[in-house]
Amino acid sequence: MKYRETAFFLTLSIAAWVCLSVLAQPGASAFSYGEEAGKNESCLTCHGDSAQVPKGFFIDTKHFNQTTHARIGCEACHAAVPATHPDGAKVARAGCGECHADVDREYATGLHVKKTTCNGCHNPHMVHSPKEVSGQEINAMCSNCHNTLEMTARHGEWLPQSELHLRMLPCITCHTGSKEYFISMYIVKSKNGSLFGKQEVAGYDELKQISGGKEIVSLIDKNRDNYVSLEELRVFNRSQNSLRLHGMMTPVSVSHKFEILDDRRNCTFCHTSGPALMQTSIIAVPEADGSYSRVPVEKGAVLDALYGTPDFYMMGSTKNGALNKIGLAIICGGLIMPVGHGFVRFLTRKNRNTKEHKS
Amino acid sequence: MSENPSEKKRIYLQPWPVRIWHWINATGIIVLIVTGAQIRFPESVAVLSSYKSAIDVHNVTGLIVSISFSFWFFYYKMVKNTLDKLYIPDEEDLKHGLVRQLLYYCFWYFLGRPSPYHATPDHKFNPMQKSAYLAVMFVLMPLVGLTGILLLNVTPLRILVLMWGGIKFIVALHFLLACSLLAFLCTHVYLATLGNYIKPMLIGWEDVEEHEEKHVEAPAAIPGYRPVRHYPEYAEMQHEQRQG
Repeated sequence: MKYRETAFFLTLSIAAWVCLSVLAQPGASAFSYGEEAGKNESCLTCHGDSAQVPKGFFIDTKHFNQTTHARIGCEACHAAVPATHPDGAKVARAGCGECHADVDREYATGLHVKKTTCNGCHNPHMVHSPKEVSGQEINAMCSNCHNTLEMTARHGEWLPQSELHLRMLPCITCHTGSKEYFISMYIVKSKNGSLFGKQEVAGYDELKQISGGKEIVSLIDKNRDNYVSLEELRVFNRSQNSLRLHGMMTPVSVSHKFEILDDRRNCTFCHTSGPALMQTSIIAVPEADGSYSRVPVEKGAVLDALYGTPDFYMMGSTKNGALNKIGLAIICGGLIMPVGHGFVRFLTRKNRNTKEHKS
Repeated sequence: MSENPSEKKRIYLQPWPVRIWHWINATGIIVLIVTGAQIRFPESVAVLSSYKSAIDVHNVTGLIVSISFSFWFFYYKMVKNTLDKLYIPDEEDLKHGLVRQLLYYCFWYFLGRPSPYHATPDHKFNPMQKSAYLAVMFVLMPLVGLTGILLLNVTPLRILVLMWGGIKFIVALHFLLACSLLAFLCTHVYLATLGNYIKPMLIGWEDVEEHEEKHVEAPAAIPGYRPVRHYPEYAEMQHEQRQG
């Protein structure tokens, strides 16, 4: 008898514990994200279809699926979606700082913190790592608030060729405290296919078409070793009319502390940086998901005299050593007459003095 | 006005527009060389206080020299109409003049013999000067000026920059042309000390000493000497040749 009572209470306790445990689960009375394998799909069924959700709630799956945020899953940021969703109630969002605490701290010390939050620049459903974003895209983010024409005019008050500078530099090159730089080159395409047409950064689809369906990088990296030699670069630059390479001086490490730095107003910060800083360059190749992959280029490519990067030159820093030597030889040639003739002139001065005396 | 009937004969060799142009050029080119050196080698040349000021001074000076060059061209070509005559070597210059002038600089000068050439307002330059100035004034100066103007603001001039082969080609050309001009400058300044060239370029007038007439006779004894056109015997020789 005693054994049967004990077994009954034990069974009852286990049942009660199981029931309470199930009820205590956070999602028990909330939205179901579905199975682990396709947990984002349950959200994207609606949010990935622009016809089903308002504009601000649409998520471009092509871009989102490639982001780190997609890998961690929707519920990592939107945890407490009620079971009644979509009922118009606001869905909770995690703060960026919960994961990106270091960036948050860094951002808080800069000028932008009073102006906007992370979302002001970054769409969390499209965000790529700095290595996957082009310089033009970085500047496009800035120009959402900072009008390009106004910025060109304001920089032009002190910066020579301001339009050129603003086109050849991501804003963060000067407005963050990065110390090291490299040259990132993007494939640009003339609009009408001629050399002189307006140039725009070429997209994945058009480059794929030009390369005949092969990998885009094969347009430059002929031997497909994922490394562009100087010779490959020269061949590309000599043979292409509608495609050119547009170089941008890009910071190696990206900081979120935005500031106005006095030393950047001093031209020598970049222009006397010397060939050492100009050694490293990469080619940013567009990928199907809208990001960019980096292909390393042979060291010193931007210092090549003519055809390495015919459209990229930074005064004072990308001068070619061989040209300097040729220039020196020309100047020395000009000194032959004064030095050589002058020496013989000095030795034979008596001849002329005698003649003058006689006459 | 141009003649002074004293024992010294004075000729008006360098008119004032040419002198102004020359000294604007001289000052401008020196400024351009110095600032250009700072622009290309900022790590080792720091004549002006900042890189930006070097660029600004270089740009403004470049424009002044380019405008001055245009005035010079206009003055000689349109006003004086002597550009071709002064700067383009003729058959006589190419056949004999160049060699004779070269021989003078390399040998006769050291032996104390007089120059086979004497400047007049219509024939200011000896055959070597003509050839050098032809290259400098019709090739080097226009090209260095044009490449410089293209580099002034490359964004609006993008199509022209691409037509010239890209910014790197233009920069390389501009640099090498500038080095050539500097090489010419060294030779030019040195050769100016060999004859009576500096004074006329300062005051316009050149004093021709009476004894210079004797020089006309002296070179005739030198083997291979042929009289030059402004020596009196040149006309005689031409006349004899025509008759013979």
